[in-house]
Amino acid sequence: MSVVDIDRIDVFMAVRRAERPARRAAFSLALPLIAFLVLAFLAPILYLLVTAVANPETRAVLPRTLAALESWHGVSPPDEPVYAALAADLKAAKDGSTAALLGKRLNYEISGMRSRVLSAARMVDQFEVGPYKEKFVALHKDWASPDVWAVIKRNGASLTPYYLLTALDLRQAPDGTLERAAGDQAIFLNVLGRTLFVAGLVTLFTLLLGYPVAYVLTIAPKAIAGIMMLLVLLPLWTSLLVRTTAWVVLLQSNGVINDLLMALHLTSEKMQLIFTRIGTVTAMTHIQLPFTILPIYSVMRSIPTTQLRAARSLGAGPSSAFWRVYAPQTLPGVVAGCLMTFILSLGYYITPALVGGPRDQMVSNFISVYINRDLNWGLAAGLGGVLLVVTLAIYLLFLRLVGADKIKLG
Amino acid sequence: MNFSQKVSVVADVPADALVRFEGVKKSYDGINFVVKDLNLNVRRGEFLTMLGPSGSGKTTTLMMLGGFERPTLGHITLDGKPVERLPPEKRNIGFVFQNYALFPHMTVAENVAFPLRYRGIKGAAAQQKVQEALGRVSLDALGNRRPAQLSGGQQQRVALARALVFEPSLVLMDEPLGALDKQLRERMQIEIKQLQTSLGITMVYVTHDQSEALTMSDRIAVFHDGRIQQLADPETLYNEPANRFVASFIGENNTVPCTRLGAEGDVAVIRMGDGSTFRAAGTDAVGADGKVTMSVRPENIGLAAAGDRPHVNRFAGKVREVFFLGDHMRLTVEALGGQLVTARIPASRSRSFASGDDVVLECCVSSCRLLEA
Amino acid sequence: MWLPSYATPSERLARTLVVALAVAVLLFLIAPLFIIVPLSFSRDPFFTLPVREYSLRWYEDFFGNARWMNSIVNSAIAAVLTTVLATTLGTLAALGISRPDFPARRLVMALLISPMIVPVVIVAVGSYLFFGQFGLTNTRLGLVLAHTALATPFVVITVTATLSTYDTNLTRAALSSGAPPASAFFRVTLPNIMPGVVSGAIFAFATSFDEVVVALFMTAAEQRTLPVQMFSGIRDQINPTIMAAATLLLALSIVLFAVLTLLTRQRRA
Repeated sequence: MSVVDIDRIDVFMAVRRAERPARRAAFSLALPLIAFLVLAFLAPILYLLVTAVANPETRAVLPRTLAALESWHGVSPPDEPVYAALAADLKAAKDGSTAALLGKRLNYEISGMRSRVLSAARMVDQFEVGPYKEKFVALHKDWASPDVWAVIKRNGASLTPYYLLTALDLRQAPDGTLERAAGDQAIFLNVLGRTLFVAGLVTLFTLLLGYPVAYVLTIAPKAIAGIMMLLVLLPLWTSLLVRTTAWVVLLQSNGVINDLLMALHLTSEKMQLIFTRIGTVTAMTHIQLPFTILPIYSVMRSIPTTQLRAARSLGAGPSSAFWRVYAPQTLPGVVAGCLMTFILSLGYYITPALVGGPRDQMVSNFISVYINRDLNWGLAAGLGGVLLVVTLAIYLLFLRLVGADKIKLG
Repeated sequence: MNFSQKVSVVADVPADALVRFEGVKKSYDGINFVVKDLNLNVRRGEFLTMLGPSGSGKTTTLMMLGGFERPTLGHITLDGKPVERLPPEKRNIGFVFQNYALFPHMTVAENVAFPLRYRGIKGAAAQQKVQEALGRVSLDALGNRRPAQLSGGQQQRVALARALVFEPSLVLMDEPLGALDKQLRERMQIEIKQLQTSLGITMVYVTHDQSEALTMSDRIAVFHDGRIQQLADPETLYNEPANRFVASFIGENNTVPCTRLGAEGDVAVIRMGDGSTFRAAGTDAVGADGKVTMSVRPENIGLAAAGDRPHVNRFAGKVREVFFLGDHMRLTVEALGGQLVTARIPASRSRSFASGDDVVLECCVSSCRLLEA
Repeated sequence: MWLPSYATPSERLARTLVVALAVAVLLFLIAPLFIIVPLSFSRDPFFTLPVREYSLRWYEDFFGNARWMNSIVNSAIAAVLTTVLATTLGTLAALGISRPDFPARRLVMALLISPMIVPVVIVAVGSYLFFGQFGLTNTRLGLVLAHTALATPFVVITVTATLSTYDTNLTRAALSSGAPPASAFFRVTLPNIMPGVVSGAIFAFATSFDEVVVALFMTAAEQRTLPVQMFSGIRDQINPTIMAAATLLLALSIVLFAVLTLLTRQRRA
């Protein structure tokens, strides 16, 4: 290493040394919030992601069976020792009332397994002595199926891709290969697609409606612009639930909008508006509009009026001056506003739940259903993981194109 | 060139130095240095100005002295004690900031009383000191106003009062007059200088305005590219610039490339681009192959007088541009082998010029200075 | 107004159309909010306009019902605690991140803002599963922790924005006047960034007070908040008492918004 290099390193270290106290002081101010967010925000999300791949049920309920299955090759039904171990495990499970957990878990992958496991657990007390194999098979022929045993063996692993695969309409065949989920179970890609579609539609509408508003805000006289700004910001301030409630009321079959449409003779009979896609997109557009308008406005405001004048003086007509000179300069605001609205629209829950019909429910609503109604935490977490990845991907795009420090409020 | 070192070692007597910078360097990224090897002594009771274009390192130097930046390498001593690790609030230095940094939520009097609070001066004693300080800047009547209710010049005075109220031995000023209009700025320059002299405080003043520096300072340190290019009193700086940067930064200057042939006593003999021979002051500038630069100020070039005169360089050229500026004219003349030389000539009705005219000009040998190429 | 004097007729027409569209969009933005106000004062339990007879019966229902009252108290307690916690943590972080020496600013800022970005259902479900491990679901503490995480980005953003226009020389002037750092902060920095801190606090309060999804997962009947009570009501069978609740929430939003607008006015003046 030459002298110059050593010099450089010395200087570099000296700079680091000189800056360290200031860096440490600055960082220590942010540390409490960072620590708080790690514990109260990141940890729950990580826990959710772990739940999406956690697979404790089979290992907990069938330890002996899994041990006995170690040497099983998977072609023919397993031998007697496996069934003996299963009988022992199920006896213990019956005593600990854990058989239902196992049944529920296996039922996700092979329908009907829940009742098979439960009935086997109920009957196992009467299997006093072996050989157990015939007794299980007599109970249900599935106990002789290599496929069933393959699934049980596979679920001996502490992690499972099952929930994430299901969230993407994929499943693992008993032999381990990936395949598309059967028709009636393949609903989640559809839901994800619908979520992206609705978010895209809402983004498009907010842009089409918001761009002129942002533009007029910049050309209106100061006093009028001030009032217009209040009209944009007040909805932003109003509780999302209140805004959604307003749309629930407006969209009722006997509601204000139907009355209005009838009075204007635009329709002769009451239209179904609540619990429809149109209603959902309308309400979401209404709620998201300020998020798209504000970044566009803040960019438009920074474009000097001389830009358009210069374009005109150079020979451009009004529309050409607008589209070739003005509009391209508003692009950063359009990108910021649209990405923000798209990201936020992906996570909508309240509005689709209250205004949408069954076919308008978004990924968030399904997550909620799997937590609250089906108690299938793994699948809820799997869907959450997929939604999170999609959202974060667009957030990264936002960070690259716009930057976190560009987000402003009002 | 490293004049700073030479000057500080030769001219400064460390004993009367209030502030010493020794080998101070500052870098934010470890690659580029904003301040490169600064050695400077500030004498007790002097008005020292750091003058330079933006980015030359002068403000960073001031911030290091104030305690808001830490030197990457080197040492700063204040009154003989090292202060690199001393936080700003413990340095007892008065600081007047650019745009004044008056506290908008406090009245003028509260602003001025602020430093007293931390020196245990309260109640009537504090009030008296505040009145005194405000009196010194002729603002006695405005103590109850808020800073926003004052004019720019008044705000400037409040900032001055706040920096002086606790009688610091050293006051730092960072372009304090930059936001004022020209007339007010000139009045404040005189007021600040008078305050400094009458109170006998040491002042370190940062500006990029050369006329401000020349008016107020006892000594001026010209900063460029992170180094002190020259440290001298205003007159020396103006008449004997140490290098091309100082020559062109302070006032206007013609710099003409030439070759050094030899010396006659303390006068150098040089050959100009057109082959003519000039003589110039300053014999110690030597470039490779004898290439040097001659500098001469426009006001030191005149129309050649009749007759042969010693100690004068005379040259002929063609007028390229003429500007009439009331009391004088500026001629841009092509001479000395294609060089454009600017001359400032007293306006007279008897002689007018037009582009293309032939003229003969002259300049004193003593006003021609030789610099490095 | 609106138009330069050199505008062509077609430009005038286009401009008129754009202004008309903008006015229509503003009407679309604001009208739905105020539709609920007359309905909440209607005597009839239908959601039709015009209102045939005005009455306060739904407000009597609302204020006479222990469940609704309870939910208001719960919301207020959670919101106040969230505000205190989020404002303190967020202001400190904004002060740090606004310093020029802050390391890895972009990365940290991306993290601090992310609670705004991550779908709230994911936060809700994650909190429900994770806090459940520590017995914090169905407790006020759990709700406040989750709400604080959601509210801090607003504080960070507003205080950072205020700090970007704050003249750091004020702090330097305080320090060189001899004030110790803590004193310089409380006497000089804080009073000057107060509008931003208060804006952040208002945002934090509103975030918690209006939040439904996390509250839905994290609360049992005892801690049930006003928005959860409303949400369940709308899901069940929408009734005019909910209109009264919504009108009151709207009024609260307008009050908070007015305070905030006055604050920003002051700051700009």
